[in-house]
Amino acid sequence: MSSEPASAMRKMFFREAIARAVREEMRDNPAVLILGQDVGRFGGSYREFDGLFEEFGAERVRDMPVAEAAMIGMGVGAAAAGLRPLVSITYMDFMMLGFDPLINYGAKLRYKTGGQMTAPVVVKTTAGAKGQGVAHSQCIEAWLMSVPGLKVVAPATPADAYGLMKTALRSNGPVVYVDHKRLFPVAGEVPLDQVAIPFGSARICRPGTDLTITAHSFMVRIALEAASLLAKEGLSAEVINLRSLAPLDINTIASSVKRTGRLLTLEEGQITTGVGAEVITRVMEKLGPVDFTRVGPLPAPVSSNPILEAACLPDAERVAVAGRLLLNAKKLVGSH
Amino acid sequence: MLYKISVPQVADVEEIRILEWHRQVGEPVERGDLVVELETHKAIVEVRAGQKAYVRKILAEAGNWQGIGLPLAVLSDGENESLPEDAQALIDLPVDFEIT
Repeated sequence: MSSEPASAMRKMFFREAIARAVREEMRDNPAVLILGQDVGRFGGSYREFDGLFEEFGAERVRDMPVAEAAMIGMGVGAAAAGLRPLVSITYMDFMMLGFDPLINYGAKLRYKTGGQMTAPVVVKTTAGAKGQGVAHSQCIEAWLMSVPGLKVVAPATPADAYGLMKTALRSNGPVVYVDHKRLFPVAGEVPLDQVAIPFGSARICRPGTDLTITAHSFMVRIALEAASLLAKEGLSAEVINLRSLAPLDINTIASSVKRTGRLLTLEEGQITTGVGAEVITRVMEKLGPVDFTRVGPLPAPVSSNPILEAACLPDAERVAVAGRLLLNAKKLVGSH
Repeated sequence: MLYKISVPQVADVEEIRILEWHRQVGEPVERGDLVVELETHKAIVEVRAGQKAYVRKILAEAGNWQGIGLPLAVLSDGENESLPEDAQALIDLPVDFEIT
């Protein structure tokens, strides 16, 4: 569980929290630079790099052509050579083009060189469905959790976005930083102090006693909505914002499940070999069998048709139904 | 007659930040005048008066945040009409807004 020190807060947009973290780290460390499409004068696809080109110039804020493999490859190479690049990949779907340099080279560099070299590169990317169809909607962070040497984090709030970006830019191995299209309109309180959020620290964002819901990124908001629906029926759900997928803060999750006795995992990516599958397994390794259910999208591509998109994605009502079933199953078993 | 100006409905947006007031308390606005600029996560929203009125009270200063549909200012037809306790109950002044 997190225990960030109390600090004065300021409300800001999600994108402003990212920009602030990157700006501070660029000021502190001249090795930090940005590579990506539209990151320069345009300020980033979501304006999350606003003002950085003006402050740091074209040498450290570099616009790139539409060539994800080259961008990530250059990022990994520059990191191996001593820089700390942040590579911005606008749609997570297109990270696939850069898996070879990221996974075969970046994630393995420290191992291959016996610790003599590291690749401190951050690949920042935006996942999630928002009306853009099959190849611009995917959440494939679970694919990356299994790569030794790779760290994967996913902020759900502006405060997470700020604190996780600080840690990412100071980290010595490749980091994949996954945000979400639907988080950019969100505003939230961010500490004024420069407080980094360590990787591997989940946050209980709503305490509860009857079941534990884990989620990351935009789905934390859906989990909180579902918890409110369940509360109207007298059911108390604890919601855990994972924040970091690799490493995973299994202690916070397991100690919650130990108290509540039930675990519901929620994710926007596919549940087959998904984040939830890993969370459930790791919890059971610690606690033995627990009642669980996992909630995710339909096993289908995400359409750009808004009706089909909504049909595919988990929403608060669907999560609440799964939570109710999980609780009733327990009651039925208990009554026999 | 008293009115309010509220944060207009902008797609996807839950709340906005007030960027700049272009009319101050006591000043008249004519139809088409820029009253206030609001900031969303990616755009500026210009709110223009849809009819003549006087700005009587500003409820959210520049730099503050307000949710969609919530009041930003109280206006009136006359310069000295007495102000209500609760701005939310007032009818909305017609406005034009442009997102840039």
